[in-house]
Amino acid sequence: MKAVRVGISLPLARPVVVALAVARATAAAVAGLIASGVAAEPFTPRHDDEVVERLPLRAGSAGERARQRAEQRVLQQQPRDLGLALRAAREAIERARRFGDPRDLGTAQAWLQPWWADPDAPPAARLLKATVLQARHDFEPALAELDRLLVERDLPAALRAQAELTRAAVLQVRGRWAEARAGCERLAAPPLALPHGHACLAELDSLQGRDALARQRLDALDRAPAAPHAWLALLRAELAEREGSAAAGALYEKALHLEDDLYVRAAYADWLLDAGRPGDAAAIVRAGQAKDLTALLTGLPDALLLRLAIAWRRTDDPAAPRARVEMQARFDAAALRGDMSHARERARFALDVVGDAAQALREAELNWAVQREPADAVLLVRAARAAKRPEADAPVRRFIQEHTMRDRRLERLG
Amino acid sequence: MNAASAAWRVLSLVLCLGGLADAWAHKASDAYLRLSVDGHVVTLRADIAMRDLDRDLVLDADDDGVLRWGEVRGRAADLEALVRRDLRLTVTDAAGVPCPVGPFAPLQLEQHSDGRYAVLARNWSCPGTPAEAVLAYDLFAATDPTHRGILARPQGATVTTAIVAPGTSAMRLAMAVAAQGAGATEVAAGTTSTTAATGFFRDGVHHIWIGIDHVLFLVVLLLPSVLCREAGRWRPAAAWRPALWSVLGVVTAFTVAHSVTLGLAVFDILNPPSRWVESLIALSVLLAALNNLRPVLVETRWRLTFAFGLVHGFGFASALKDLGLQQADLALPLVPFNLGVEAGQLAIVAVLVPLMWAARGWRGYPRWVLGAGSALVAAIAIVWLVERLFDVQLLGLGG
Repeated sequence: MKAVRVGISLPLARPVVVALAVARATAAAVAGLIASGVAAEPFTPRHDDEVVERLPLRAGSAGERARQRAEQRVLQQQPRDLGLALRAAREAIERARRFGDPRDLGTAQAWLQPWWADPDAPPAARLLKATVLQARHDFEPALAELDRLLVERDLPAALRAQAELTRAAVLQVRGRWAEARAGCERLAAPPLALPHGHACLAELDSLQGRDALARQRLDALDRAPAAPHAWLALLRAELAEREGSAAAGALYEKALHLEDDLYVRAAYADWLLDAGRPGDAAAIVRAGQAKDLTALLTGLPDALLLRLAIAWRRTDDPAAPRARVEMQARFDAAALRGDMSHARERARFALDVVGDAAQALREAELNWAVQREPADAVLLVRAARAAKRPEADAPVRRFIQEHTMRDRRLERLG
Repeated sequence: MNAASAAWRVLSLVLCLGGLADAWAHKASDAYLRLSVDGHVVTLRADIAMRDLDRDLVLDADDDGVLRWGEVRGRAADLEALVRRDLRLTVTDAAGVPCPVGPFAPLQLEQHSDGRYAVLARNWSCPGTPAEAVLAYDLFAATDPTHRGILARPQGATVTTAIVAPGTSAMRLAMAVAAQGAGATEVAAGTTSTTAATGFFRDGVHHIWIGIDHVLFLVVLLLPSVLCREAGRWRPAAAWRPALWSVLGVVTAFTVAHSVTLGLAVFDILNPPSRWVESLIALSVLLAALNNLRPVLVETRWRLTFAFGLVHGFGFASALKDLGLQQADLALPLVPFNLGVEAGQLAIVAVLVPLMWAARGWRGYPRWVLGAGSALVAAIAIVWLVERLFDVQLLGLGG
């Protein structure tokens, strides 16, 4: 009964304090909502010379920019020119991949718009549509479109190959490895007989721990002079990372050197973070970016900003809180438009930056329902541990057993 | 592999077996719209990203990759023309008379999470009270179908938001109803409203009804309110007023306390581990039941209710968070969810209290209803407490 007395001896002043805190919290939440985009105080610059925005310069030369702008004017007339649309959409997808700006995916869709909702559109347009969907993480609609393409008997070989490869990649991300393998085998076998099929089989082998075989295959592919060496270096780096081999670092370095690619840079930073080298990870993220802190933080694509926020938190960098606030603002802005597709990033942010394990676990579980790569498995296991709910990683354990997934990072977590 | 070396060139598109699952993006293009009513004047403010404007209108005249204020200001007329063409709002007053639109306010700028935005605002001045607005939205429909308008409508203390896709059918917005805060009656064809107030209200009701531990806590506290304690014995209450006051005291204390902590937890100011919260909730049920068996607090039961009501609020918060919302989205559902909890709680009180009032005169009430009932609840609470403290499953009583 003592406990009751203790329980009720809460001084009455406390509720008042608490109520004040709630009022403050409500004000803060409203302010947060405003900051994230509903409305704030607009301003008028003082001088005409004042720089008010830096535009992303994505085209190399002035001539190329002029061409893009001319095409943009054509696009506003909503043309129905398939050849132009395919080329412009492909370029836009390429830019989206290189610079990490989803606005370019919007441009690609705009070019494809006359064919977007048409089930009988030319196969090339539907293939690009599937590529845009896949890049936006709309995996199931992308797969549906690719499946429809691949049943067509007279699909040109080049389109068939691209559709098979994209489909295998999506299936692999979704954790449907058996179907992915069947696709890779079709790519590798006649009549297509493409080396991509072998690379893709090597990756699947490596996911299941058949690393020696996979490495042999990748090394052999890499010897061909016209092979995409950057991509193969990335595959080899990821294989080495899953094996727990220190060679991964040099391979990531090589891949990055061969082609400055956002995904490779982020993957390399992850490897460095995982190896306990947050300082080096921050340096990799910042390489080639603005020196000024504000310009750096606003200019970094989400993927790199997330790695920087994690690295800075681990090195206790004085700018760590700013990176965290910037990242949170971007998640809030995405949530405001109803975009909830990046659970993997939100889970990592909650786990490694905010330190909110319960939230991280919720996001990691959402993410696991969509994506089942080793990184997603590691994330769910880590979040479950941090949230002190080790039983929550059961779906991952089941997946590892059913698919014989092998990854040293998972073994290290036990 | 020699035959293969030429074959590598076959695929023109990006090879991305690895880079698929990682999101590396900034967010896609948004414009922020704000529709507000002040007396007879309706204001629509649109914040549009300068990067999007440059793409469609080529603001960067000298092609140096940098926009200067002079370059933007000099094109104000073109920006206004774009907004007039693609962001069409008609407003009518209560008598159905269309409200004339004024000129644009001077062009201003605003910083959002992904860069600077141009701010374009106009007023519609109505002869009578503004009643209805119809918004047709086509911004960037031809150049970026993934663009969205995020429409915020401040109504008193709350802001409702809706997402508008370009090129979808016009959106009808009831202004008079909105001004009274009577809720969502807008017909939003082709749009999704993010405020599902009624849904969260129902979630709140649902949570208190299935949350057997919350219900038992309340019931146990209410059981003695139809009795008086005199000289160590329970007697039926003679007058209804003191009994009603007692019920009101308990219900109010519970409501205030759990609302406070629900708010604190939702805004992440206090976030105690759920295992402790759940254990303390079980403890609160146990202590409330024991207090009926060996009364320590009789007239002041509301204090016990208040203290433990604080703990129950954290429990409600985790239920609200489990609905899978982002932090930024939690502020809006908080009110309907809490109202739902209160309504569910009042429904229980409304059924229970009259029954108790009718039964209070029965001689067995103190012994069988209050005594045995509280003892049973205490036993259940002990099971919960052990289960939750040690994370084991004893009987699976739920709650």
